[in-house]
Amino acid sequence: MLDCEIAVVGGGPAGLCAAAEASEWGAGVLLLDRDRMPGGQLVKQTHRFFGSEAQRAGTRGIDIAGILHDRLEASPSAAVWREADVVARYDDGVLGVERRGRWEKIRPQKLIFATGAAEKTLAVPGSDLPGVYGAGAVQTLMNVHGVRPGHRVLMVGAGNIGLIVSYQLLQAEIGVAAVVEATREVGGYWVHASKIRRLGVPILTGHTLLEVTGTDFVRGAVVAEIDENWKIQPGTRREIECDAVCLAVGLGPLGDLMWQCGCEMAWISELGGYVPRRNEEMETSVEGIYVAGDAAGIEEASAAMMEGRLAGLAAAHALGYVPPHQFTRIRSEIASELYHLRSGPTGDVTRRGLAALRGAPVRRQVLVEEGEPC
Amino acid sequence: MGEFPDTASIVIVGGGITGCALAYELAVLGVEDVLVCERDYLTAGSTGRCGAGIRQQWGLEMNIRLSRASCRILETLPEHLDYPRGIEFKQGGYLILAYAEKQLEQFRKNVARQNELGVPSRVLSPREAMDIVPHLSAEGLLGATFCHEDGHANPFHTTHAYALAARRAGVRFALDTRVTDIEVRGDRVVGVETSRGYVATPLVFNAAGSHSAEIGAMAGVDLPVYTERHQILATEPVGRMLDPMVVSFSHHIYCQQVPHGSFLMGRGDPDEPRGINNESSWLFLERMARSVATIMPPLADLRVVRQWSGGYNVSPDSQPILGDVPGLEGYWMAVGFSGHGFMVAPMAVRVLAQTIAGSDPEMDIGALNLGRFERGELLLEPNVV
Repeated sequence: MLDCEIAVVGGGPAGLCAAAEASEWGAGVLLLDRDRMPGGQLVKQTHRFFGSEAQRAGTRGIDIAGILHDRLEASPSAAVWREADVVARYDDGVLGVERRGRWEKIRPQKLIFATGAAEKTLAVPGSDLPGVYGAGAVQTLMNVHGVRPGHRVLMVGAGNIGLIVSYQLLQAEIGVAAVVEATREVGGYWVHASKIRRLGVPILTGHTLLEVTGTDFVRGAVVAEIDENWKIQPGTRREIECDAVCLAVGLGPLGDLMWQCGCEMAWISELGGYVPRRNEEMETSVEGIYVAGDAAGIEEASAAMMEGRLAGLAAAHALGYVPPHQFTRIRSEIASELYHLRSGPTGDVTRRGLAALRGAPVRRQVLVEEGEPC
Repeated sequence: MGEFPDTASIVIVGGGITGCALAYELAVLGVEDVLVCERDYLTAGSTGRCGAGIRQQWGLEMNIRLSRASCRILETLPEHLDYPRGIEFKQGGYLILAYAEKQLEQFRKNVARQNELGVPSRVLSPREAMDIVPHLSAEGLLGATFCHEDGHANPFHTTHAYALAARRAGVRFALDTRVTDIEVRGDRVVGVETSRGYVATPLVFNAAGSHSAEIGAMAGVDLPVYTERHQILATEPVGRMLDPMVVSFSHHIYCQQVPHGSFLMGRGDPDEPRGINNESSWLFLERMARSVATIMPPLADLRVVRQWSGGYNVSPDSQPILGDVPGLEGYWMAVGFSGHGFMVAPMAVRVLAQTIAGSDPEMDIGALNLGRFERGELLLEPNVV
């Protein structure tokens, strides 16, 4: 059994920032990451970041991961466990960890969940064929392992992830047959959309994926137009030739460990699913348990980094490492940065989600609808 | 289920194997207006958390007879209930290991009793046991007993098969519906208060598993049962390694490989405090792993994918309490199964349904009624994990 002051679960942008912040105040931090190289989604992000200077605009995601990791390595009070999966949190506060095939136990005083998100999927006929990927999987294949996911890809979803991954496919000289988007508008930044439009990729708004065709692997995809009520328009079905379908249809926060901890959770669709209630310091309803990043609600890496910093600061403060006046000042600095980040039109969904979270009914466990068996 | 009813001929409390099988058996005997109230969802309690073993190798006659008859019922249940998905009843046998002379002596007596009652069990030498399970360690093993008809089934499919057949036969199921009180007037039950309203009924049936003592107290019935947490885990699926369920009372464990390849294994903790507790502990994982690796060393390499726990509703003699309550009309129960409810419930509730419906019961289960505790007629079942 290893005792530690702060355990951070997840080494993506939120977890790295949380661990770096807390350890720089002197708190003993153990960062647990399941991959060989911490960084989470950053390691597959080869594009430059937008946003404010303070949040590493102009730097590529993979480089940000390296910078944050170096900062952590430089801190004498921080340790990093790689290839360490947190598999459970028991009611005596102990974390069960599978680290490189070994079972380990950690008893932290404070816990920060930066577990990120999982990709959502679409259930259509053929969506279980080899060649149907999540967008994150495509990024991992291409940008981490250097493997082509296919030769001609149909992208589903015109949010930032769908647009950026489409561009990265084109950069890797992989054809993108089209980008299919069910809503009437492109959800991602126009700068990303323009880049792929200039390269001749059609963006089919108001379209949906009906079916993936093929017997042993993807041979094509059937799409159709839909109206404002998501009804399929007769006579608009058509098949698009492709050998891979990439689903960029959103992310869902990974809250399993927080459910185990008994954190109060609420369903907030604007934030991607079930998220924990928390105060302005990112502390959940369970004292000493904090959350940051996509696990707190789906947003971008910049917000994840700020939330991580806030959670790390608060946990270090709760352990007595941060002088009160400094805590108050830095907390409000980060809060103000987050406010500005979310104040534009693209932050609208997050603002609505956070407002809903404050007033949402609490779920402590998943309830089953009353009714018939089975 | 549409409108929540305000009357029922029978209210069954609990939507596990006991409640669902009973509902079906009552319905096929022509009992109408049966209502099942389940506080959560079907199989949410001990049924959906259990190891789901089916064995006939017991020490006491009633347990042997009930489990033998239940085994027969389960063998043809999918056809009988028209449940084409099947209940995954795998009859790979039960291998019960002996690690002490005294234990082996008891096992020999048990097998003699089992054989008398028609169970084809036998006593094995350590060598013979290792022929059946080559992964067994010879360390300390003195012998074993084996019955090839024993095995395990899928508790979710079994319960849902009963529930669907019951619903087709007219039974109503109220899920997410808690029974909060039982109204007794004079010496008879007259109704049940639930989280969704009051139901007038002349008969309430306690099939509440872990919660059976509470449901007893609501009618002033003091049931001599308590609930105790038992923990269990599942591993990753691997190729076929183990046919029978392997049990060691000395190590307090059972272990099986289910048809899709996962191992399910559980362990009783002699120091477990009483009470309802569905939390899991890391201590269980470590002790379970150590115990099972002692008995079958190759299993040490398996990876655990999840763990959970459930309640044994334990009676003073580790046998179920079946029947009505002397002096209180309209209160029936099938409780205190002591960790083997899944394997004896099918026959136990069939006989109870026959008794309630006024037809001839197939078996005399009078020895298992509540009165046995006052009469002091306790026979302690020796074969429990």
